Amino acid sequence: MKSARCLLQLQCLTLVGQSTRSAAQYGALLRAASSGRAPPPSSPPHQVFRHFHSGPARPKEQPIPAEFVNGDDKKRDRSLVAHDDLFERVAREVKTKATFNKVVDVFIKNDVRRRGHVEFIYAALKKMPEFGVERDLVVYNRLLDVFPKEVFVPRNFIQRMFNHYPRQQECGVQLLEQMENYGIMPNMETKVLLVQIFGEKGHPMRKFQRIMYWFPKFKHVNPFPVPKHLPEDPVDLARFSLTRIANDRDAKVTVHQLPCTDVTESGEQITLPHVVGIQSPSQVELLAKHNPNRPLFVEGPFPLWLRSKCVYYYVLRADPTPPEEKVEEPFDPERCLDYPLQLDLDLDRDLGDEESFDVEDLDEGPVFAMCMTGLGEQAVLNQWISGLQEDNPILGQVPTLFRLDAGPRELQGATDTESFHHHGPEPEYQKEERQPQQEPEVTLEEEPRTSQRMKR
Amino acid sequence: MMNVNRYVLSRSLHFGQRLVSRSTRRAAKDAERLQQRRSIRTQSRNLAYAKDLFLGQVNKAEVFPYPEIGNEEVEEINQLVAPVEKFFSEEVDSAKIDREAKIPEETLNGLKELGLFGIMVPEEYGGLGLSNTVYARLAEITSLDGSIAVTLAAHQAIGLKGILIAGNEAQKQKYLPKLASGEHIAAFCLTEPGSGSDAASITTRATLSEDGKHYLINGSKFWISNGDMADVMTVFARTEVVVDGVKKDKISAFIVERAFGGVTSGKPEDKLGIRGSNTCEVSFDNVPVPVENVIGEVGGGFKVAMNILNSGRFSMGSSSAGMIKKLIELTSEYAATRKQFNKSLGEFGMIQEKFALMSINAFVMESMAYLTAGMMDRPGLPDCSLEAAMVKVFSSEGGWICTSEALQILGGLGYTKNYPYERYVRDCRILPIFEGTNEILRMYIALTGMQYAGKVLTGKIKEMKKGNIGLALGMVGKKLRASFGSSADLGLTGKDGVVHPSLAQSAKKFEQNVDLFGSTVESLLYRYGKTLVDEQLILKRVADVLINLYAMTAVLSRSSRSISIGLRNHDHEVLLTNTFCSDAFFKNNYWMTQLQKHSPENNDANIKKIAREVLENRAYVCSHPLERTF
Repeated sequence: MKSARCLLQLQCLTLVGQSTRSAAQYGALLRAASSGRAPPPSSPPHQVFRHFHSGPARPKEQPIPAEFVNGDDKKRDRSLVAHDDLFERVAREVKTKATFNKVVDVFIKNDVRRRGHVEFIYAALKKMPEFGVERDLVVYNRLLDVFPKEVFVPRNFIQRMFNHYPRQQECGVQLLEQMENYGIMPNMETKVLLVQIFGEKGHPMRKFQRIMYWFPKFKHVNPFPVPKHLPEDPVDLARFSLTRIANDRDAKVTVHQLPCTDVTESGEQITLPHVVGIQSPSQVELLAKHNPNRPLFVEGPFPLWLRSKCVYYYVLRADPTPPEEKVEEPFDPERCLDYPLQLDLDLDRDLGDEESFDVEDLDEGPVFAMCMTGLGEQAVLNQWISGLQEDNPILGQVPTLFRLDAGPRELQGATDTESFHHHGPEPEYQKEERQPQQEPEVTLEEEPRTSQRMKR
Repeated sequence: MMNVNRYVLSRSLHFGQRLVSRSTRRAAKDAERLQQRRSIRTQSRNLAYAKDLFLGQVNKAEVFPYPEIGNEEVEEINQLVAPVEKFFSEEVDSAKIDREAKIPEETLNGLKELGLFGIMVPEEYGGLGLSNTVYARLAEITSLDGSIAVTLAAHQAIGLKGILIAGNEAQKQKYLPKLASGEHIAAFCLTEPGSGSDAASITTRATLSEDGKHYLINGSKFWISNGDMADVMTVFARTEVVVDGVKKDKISAFIVERAFGGVTSGKPEDKLGIRGSNTCEVSFDNVPVPVENVIGEVGGGFKVAMNILNSGRFSMGSSSAGMIKKLIELTSEYAATRKQFNKSLGEFGMIQEKFALMSINAFVMESMAYLTAGMMDRPGLPDCSLEAAMVKVFSSEGGWICTSEALQILGGLGYTKNYPYERYVRDCRILPIFEGTNEILRMYIALTGMQYAGKVLTGKIKEMKKGNIGLALGMVGKKLRASFGSSADLGLTGKDGVVHPSLAQSAKKFEQNVDLFGSTVESLLYRYGKTLVDEQLILKRVADVLINLYAMTAVLSRSSRSISIGLRNHDHEVLLTNTFCSDAFFKNNYWMTQLQKHSPENNDANIKKIAREVLENRAYVCSHPLERTF
């Protein structure tokens, strides 16, 4: 699961890096990956992710968890009730790791023979997210410890040949699979327990080996890892997100305004949103060369997904320079004091040594700066633009148009879970509708949704 | 001191007599004298040796026989060299100069009295008026102290060179005498904080004053040798020039006196080596420069700068050689006396290897430097910039290796300040950097040759690309012949040979290399055309091969002459020549194999990729070997 997500993010990020515009289209893709990460409690994780890691061993194992899941209600009527109840009873007030451990202790002490331990483990696995221990290796090891030792180890070749104690083995595999789904890497203790319980060559041991083969390989597969705990402070988060999109080490993040709350004399409360911008030296250079007769656009908001969090950013961009305005710098033979910068020859590179690919270049128009703000209103973004003017005096002469979507304010108001399902696609549709209208500037005025204003 | 003074006195008298004796007919006679003295062909030269190597041709008339100087000049050199050598061994305390980062006043005065500040300034302007060859010979001695060598070089190899080669008569009359005597010291102000080789980023500006009589110079220059003590500076600045009715910015060269006012110099840089030489920033704040102080014409500064830079480099060969010869003396003394396991150090193979390396390097540098100096001294205006650049690259790198190996012979002792070796190593480190970094010079060497070869070969290559069968068959035939072992014969040996028969084998190797080099160049031009400019790794190899070829030429020519005229120890020269040639032969072959298409020896793509990934990361990329993932 982790790897799949990584891959998706990687894909999205490269696209984000290339063009912020396309990021909007890929937001949906990201969301699909991210939403899988924190599944609603009602659906067990294995239902969602099974297809990610189906190895040759899977078909045999599949029926059991499915049966367990489907027959959930049926079983609860009988033996399982006791275990589920056990969890509910012990942890009536608080559900923590300590209480979870207590339940396990109670079960272990209850019965020396550990009767019904398979059902108990299934129940426990299901309850883990509720207790917030689904990412705790120690707890998994404790659960494994519930299995009686040496009983299920095959003792002769016939036992080894056939599926020895299949229910128990499958339960062990299921436990490992849940670990895998949460990205928890087993440790030596897990291995020792598995060997003690199922022997060296049981299915759980194979599963363990497979995990240990793939997990380390995928651990650093994402060159742009998102930290587990995102910064809480919106300014820090904005700084992190902007550097992540820009992917330019020279880019400078400027906090144009810190979030603060003021009370005016009349007793009104004014909340100033944060405004954090980013611009690299090459963008400054590019902007300085911009033809002042052509307008600049402030566009947004575009979504950026960081794990299960969505943030929005705005870009300052221009339309691509029309080909007739492009001027190539003339070659100056008196440029280099020491050696000729060009060979004055009438020979081109031989076709056999042409190493470049035939790529169709699509001129997309430069992005000059990006920003994030707590409130995507024109007044706030204006503040950003005037802040940018310090480094880019040309902004004083160039008309700046605001092409803002209404999207994010609603989105931010809504709860996280809702935003997954309801509002997601909206900004993208607007983007796509507008694509064909890009070139003529006249059409801009006809857009009813765009709040625009010439900036002096 | 007395000795020196007496010498100088007698010498200046000697010069004075000469001055009087041919005061009037000098200009006309001078050229003639040069010709007679060197007994070299008189026809105008438009062929250059190194460029022809790119076509697989050896223009042997250019480099054989090895250039000689007349007996008169030899005498002159001997007269001049002895006191300078004496001065450097007795009066110059290099350790102190290095420690205090300053050349004492009395040392500078001694140098001035010896006339070392105006070695190449013509006699009518008060200099010694010596040839490039003698200049190289003196550089051998002055290089014993890096700081002094650099101070002198900054003064006359680049500082006053502008006036010397591009200045008008009035400028020469006004400035050269005082510069030659050392009363005024010169500096060369080109480099700026944001501009090394890139003339387009020069920001220092000269604007014409309203009355049109002065230029006002504003800006600052970086890493100016002699910047603090210079009285006269060659300054390059942008000026507005009208070309075809369009106003353009072009570089112009100016003679700026400190006395004009507005010139300030910054704190001297604290350097790794050549600590006694003065390097600092020089700022110009509205410095008024009279219009008659423009060198050449307004807007023609680029050419002036190029000519100055190109002409100053050849002497580094003899400087490095001089230094290495000194180091060989010092270290062999140690290797012979120091005993380990009842054996002297010199009996160990790995130590012997170092001495061989130093000798070969010194020998090759010397040969290259004097061959080039001799070529430059020929009548006419031979363009030897390519050869000079090769001498510089070879000797600066060889110098670095040799000083480091010399230090290695002494081991820990060499690492201490009690011995001069660490100073030589530090001083030497500047050689690959200044006067054009070696990287840039390699580009210059390779591209200049490629441009020349490209012009000649374009027609042929185009025919080949069109699929001319005759040409293709010719190529195949040539390859077949080569594979059957018929080696190239470029006429160095045999009936009309110029190389002594005892060097025939080395000469054969050289010919074979040249032949292969010619076809390599052709195939490179065929494959890359004008995009060759962007293939720096290829150009680097081309330059390296060419440098080796030129070095082989130099040693072959030199030792052929030595054998023929029976110089002392010429058998040792033969030994060195054969060793170097066979070594260079295999290296060249390897490099040229790398230049073939799809060569498995060629790692360029990987090298570029490694660099790209590192630079993207701006750090070493790999994880630490102790890191774990589980």
